[in-house]
Amino acid sequence: MEQPESIFSGDRRQFIKKVLKGTIGGSLLLVLPAGAGNLEVPEQITGIRNRPWELSEQNFAFIVDITRCIGCGSCCVADKREFNVPDGHYRTWVERYLKDFDDAVYVDSPKGGLDGYQKPRTDIKKKIRDTFFVPKLCNMCQEPSCVQVCPVGATYRSPDGFVLVDSDRCVGCAYCIQACPYSARFLHPVTRTAEKCTWCYHRVRRGLLPACVSVCPTGARKFGDLNDPESEVTQILKGPGVITVLKKEMGNWPALYYKGLRREVV
Amino acid sequence: MRDVIEGGDLQSTYNSHVKRIVVGLIVFVVLGFAGKKLLAPKSFGVYGHYRADAIEEAAAVDIRHGTNASCLSCHAFEAKIHLSGQHRTISCEFCHGTYADHAKDGKKIGTLPVKQNEEINTLCLRCHNRAIQARPEEVIKTIIMPAHLEDQKVKTTHFCNQCHHVHAPLRYINRAKRIVGIQETG
Repeated sequence: MEQPESIFSGDRRQFIKKVLKGTIGGSLLLVLPAGAGNLEVPEQITGIRNRPWELSEQNFAFIVDITRCIGCGSCCVADKREFNVPDGHYRTWVERYLKDFDDAVYVDSPKGGLDGYQKPRTDIKKKIRDTFFVPKLCNMCQEPSCVQVCPVGATYRSPDGFVLVDSDRCVGCAYCIQACPYSARFLHPVTRTAEKCTWCYHRVRRGLLPACVSVCPTGARKFGDLNDPESEVTQILKGPGVITVLKKEMGNWPALYYKGLRREVV
Repeated sequence: MRDVIEGGDLQSTYNSHVKRIVVGLIVFVVLGFAGKKLLAPKSFGVYGHYRADAIEEAAAVDIRHGTNASCLSCHAFEAKIHLSGQHRTISCEFCHGTYADHAKDGKKIGTLPVKQNEEINTLCLRCHNRAIQARPEEVIKTIIMPAHLEDQKVKTTHFCNQCHHVHAPLRYINRAKRIVGIQETG
């Protein structure tokens, strides 16, 4: 008489293995904290997640503190990783300024500061008076030149103050790249569309700081809500420090401020 | 005189040219509107001369960097050391790589590299090299590399992490001082 096929009639060793695996696995699931769903990251900019995003009521500012920048290039690395920025192009970069006693200015930025500044400049024979780092990124102008020249409406200033690029519309004519007074834009070599720093719009909308601000070890980069009177950026802008914008005479009205900037910086 | 009188009397009833212009204009307007309706992308012009949907698309881009809090919520052992030292403001992801390359939906999807040997020295000197004069001394402690090792009376082949814990640089040094201090006083 044919016995019906049963799981018990198979290899006994296999069966015991399966039972043991099931038992251990099951008990481990109970013991280990199950990281179910998305990991809850604490909000870095307070008051973004618990209310709807009103486009017309936002007012953000970015402050770069020159007196605290050590030129480590963390921001450049984070930026490249966050957006998979192609080699040789930079959404943000760090420049090194040197000034001699005749007020001649020497600027360099090897690989945009991506590898940090490992070596001092040896090509300058003059005695150096002042030296500092200047991180650069999109200035998020209130009157952006890039938006004005875009022929297809691909780059725009959103009502919340962020100047963004719609890569679906962009035809890659590069007018905006020429128009930007801060050279913040580049043409992506693969997609052939214009790209630039967005102040990590996708992170801000989720209540997180821009990647470069988040990784800055010395607090040289600050980002925050100007509507919040308690925010760090409001306090800095109210405070006595020397606060300037780049190329004020261009009339672009940047929302990117520099603290402790020397007038030689362009 | 004759011309004026004739001009007043003879009102032309021939107006097909007017019809042609009017029909032409209507066709132009209708085609124009239809073309704009068909060719302009949806949501174009809601806030201005751009696609309003592009704003939400820009907001929906995936995040690649978490925060230190997201890393340390799982790595409790590292968290205790990292948050106790001077290096607590350094981002985990700067040295190790992005959160997106490591975890997804609470599960590990890849192993992040740990820097070793020469890489450690290069990494440390990105910030702590005094040869780069632009670094403000009140923000960061800097050293000149072979000189520092000679001053501390160790071999010049030493890597930084042989004395300094990379997460809390003065951890071992303070501990050693404490032990030596106890011996000295006791």
